[in-house]
Amino acid sequence: MREELMEILREQRPDVDFEVEQALIDDEILDSFDIVSLVSELNDNFDIAINVDDLLPENFNSADAMLELIQKLQEEG
Amino acid sequence: MSLLSGKFVLFFLCVFAAYFLMPRKSRWVVLLIGSYVFYLFSSVRMTAYLLLTTFTTFFSAKRIGALNKETSEYLTVHKAELDRETKKQYKAGQMKRKRRYLLFAVLWNIGTLCVLKYTGFVFDTINRTLHFVADMEAVLPSVRFMLPLGISFYTFQTVGYVIDVYRGKYEPDTSLPKYMLFVSFFPQIIQGPISRYNQLAHQLYEGHEFDYTRITMGLQLVLWGLIKKLVLADRLIKVSNMIFQNYTDYAGLTMFIGGTVYGVYMYADFSGGIDMIRGIAQVFGIEMMQNFERPYFATSLSEFWRRWHISLGEWMRDYVFYPVSLSKAFGRLGKKTKKWFGTKTGKVIPTYLATFITFMLVGIWQGTELKYVGYGFWNASIIAGSLLLKPVFTKTLDFLHIKADSFYWKAFGMLRTFFLCSLGRFFSGGLSLKSALVMMKSFFTVWNPQVLTDGTFLNMGLTRRDWLVVLIMLIIMLIVGILQERGIRIRSSIAGMPLPMRWFIYIGAIVFVVLLGQYGPGFVSADFVYQQF
Repeated sequence: MREELMEILREQRPDVDFEVEQALIDDEILDSFDIVSLVSELNDNFDIAINVDDLLPENFNSADAMLELIQKLQEEG
Repeated sequence: MSLLSGKFVLFFLCVFAAYFLMPRKSRWVVLLIGSYVFYLFSSVRMTAYLLLTTFTTFFSAKRIGALNKETSEYLTVHKAELDRETKKQYKAGQMKRKRRYLLFAVLWNIGTLCVLKYTGFVFDTINRTLHFVADMEAVLPSVRFMLPLGISFYTFQTVGYVIDVYRGKYEPDTSLPKYMLFVSFFPQIIQGPISRYNQLAHQLYEGHEFDYTRITMGLQLVLWGLIKKLVLADRLIKVSNMIFQNYTDYAGLTMFIGGTVYGVYMYADFSGGIDMIRGIAQVFGIEMMQNFERPYFATSLSEFWRRWHISLGEWMRDYVFYPVSLSKAFGRLGKKTKKWFGTKTGKVIPTYLATFITFMLVGIWQGTELKYVGYGFWNASIIAGSLLLKPVFTKTLDFLHIKADSFYWKAFGMLRTFFLCSLGRFFSGGLSLKSALVMMKSFFTVWNPQVLTDGTFLNMGLTRRDWLVVLIMLIIMLIVGILQERGIRIRSSIAGMPLPMRWFIYIGAIVFVVLLGQYGPGFVSADFVYQQF
């Protein structure tokens, strides 16, 4: 699952090192357009429904945080 | 009570003395009383609107918070016995109850704002349409409601608070008097910034120590705001008024300079006012959010809007752009557009549409005339267009071996953004949509560089000396901007200087504003432009 996520992220923003970055939102590396298009990709690829309440910096600051969110939403079904 | 009046200075000194004389625990009470005295000075009747907003949002958030708590307690207690489906059903039921309170708070308050702000426009439009279509006389009265001071700012701030509690970001406030302070805090209510509850409220409620360095830093910011307003903004407004109000008398480059001057005027006026507000808050130990981050250093129009009126931009992003983009309707639209235009183009179309909606709302928020719709359209189409063409730009840069982060490319981006912003000001600063389009056409069809040297700009209410002062101010602001972009904290540096040097700068700045500011008998300083919102 992690590799699939990394591939989506790399395709989205090839200029960002998602293995290293830990403050993607706090440091404004991802903007609102990136977020919306990323959410649409994650919803389609992982069959989840990220809604506006999940758009917290702590859920998108790093690849690991996003992975955690995906797993949580998959568990909740 | 204007921020620039002697009455305000006296009021501020009274609040300042009372705040630091009061025991720390009760200092917030001084700010609350001060804020309501300030508001009552603006209008006793209008205070009713402020109170209604305060009560409706406080009690709605309280109920939503109670439902959040009930939900989480129920799920914890019954964790073992509930299957996934039952849990989902329970959550959906609770959500429905919460949504009722949210809808009430949002509709009541945004509804009040819309009725007060847009009824006149809607009635006039209906009358005009009926006259045009059926040659009927006016059927609806021409009404103009008086707007309560800062209604947009406190409405957005409180609605944001209720939505955040609904989203479970934080617990609701439990004290009505303290919450009343959060809504009415006196410097902020004039023209923002639109603060977030979790960033501001606790700072207002805790009593802050008397800290000499912090107070001088706050006063430095007030002084800097005052310089921007009185020395620069109140000079530039004369030029942009002259060009925009007599646009048929000018042409070509003069139009562009009018747009540029109006943009810089807006920046100096609005950011100057915000600096004064943030400085006053800092005197009391309260750090308010930044509302401007050197927008003219932006390399794209979307970055410009992330640096300009940041609190409104973030509000629109969190409470309009995201909910619209991620709504079920937009999800369905995305699926359809993918089918129609292919995956790559189709998936981004809903984002462009949400961008359009957001910018149109920002435009309409500024005013009801068609020119503001034009202003929203101008910004939205450039930003959505640049997003759509991003892959083409990237490929072109690669082809030309230009690095996107090189100095020259960034400088080009800044100039391009500056150019687009200046042209966009034809809409927001012009008399009407028609005048904006006439100015635009003139700029693109008339080449008249001689206006820079033939004395045209000396007939616009500013003398040679005034233009020199404008130039000096622009150079100072540019230097300050460059230093801040490099992460240098100018006010801290000044506060840390040896006493004689520090006071030399303070007195120099005071003399600068006293000698070069636009004020005195016969001169009425223009109101802060966003004060009427």
